[in-house]
Amino acid sequence: MKGSLSNNIRLLRFVQSEMTQAELGQRVGVTRQTIAAIEAGKYSPSLEVAFRIAGEFKLPLEQVFQWQE
Amino acid sequence: MLHWQVIPYREKVAWLSIAAMLATFGPYFTLVATGYFPVTPMPDLRQLAGYAVTAAVQVTILIVGHIVLRRSNPLDAKVAADERDIAIKHRSVTTAYYVLITGMILVGVVMPFSSNGWHIVNSALFMIVLAELVQYSVMVIGYRRQAG
Repeated sequence: MKGSLSNNIRLLRFVQSEMTQAELGQRVGVTRQTIAAIEAGKYSPSLEVAFRIAGEFKLPLEQVFQWQE
Repeated sequence: MLHWQVIPYREKVAWLSIAAMLATFGPYFTLVATGYFPVTPMPDLRQLAGYAVTAAVQVTILIVGHIVLRRSNPLDAKVAADERDIAIKHRSVTTAYYVLITGMILVGVVMPFSSNGWHIVNSALFMIVLAELVQYSVMVIGYRRQAG
C-alpha cells in the first residue's frame, strides 16, 4: 500500500509570525533538524509529535498533516 | 555537499567517531597485516603496547573532539535525543549487531581450527572495530537521507 504524508508546517510557521524551525522544535520537544526533515517530507513523525505540532498551531491534525494515496 | 554548521549534533559525533577509529585502528591493522608485529607467543608485550597506544590515541581524539564539538555547538549539545535520533540509533545498532555476531561466530567458532594467539585476538578486535564503523556509518547515512 503506497502513500505519502504531506504537511503545511512551513506555511503555518510563516503565518504564525514567522516562527523558526528551532522555536517549533523546542516547543514540541524535537531538534530543529527533525522539524526540517518533517517539513521536507523525509521523516514521518510519531502521532504524539504530530499532535503536538498541530496543537502549537491550534489546528486539528488533518489541517496540518495530509495523507495522500 | 555537507554543510558542517547545519548538520545535527549527533551526526557530528558519529563523524568524529568514524574519524577517530580510521585514524587509529587504520594504521594499527595496517601494521598487523604487514607483519610489523612479529608472531610470538602470548603475551606479546610489543603487540600489547601497540594496541594500548592505539586505544589511548583513540580515546584522546574522542575526548578532544567532544570538547571541541560541545564548545562550537553549546545549544545543540544540551538538547536531548528526540524520536528521530532514537530511531536512527536503533537502526544503526541493529545493523552493527548482525556484523558483530557474524564476526564473533567466525572468530570464536571457525578461526580456532586454523589459527591461534594474536591472529584470533586481532581478528576479534577487527570485527569489533568493523561493527562500530558500520554502526556510525549507518547513523550518518540515516541523517543524510532525512536531511531537510
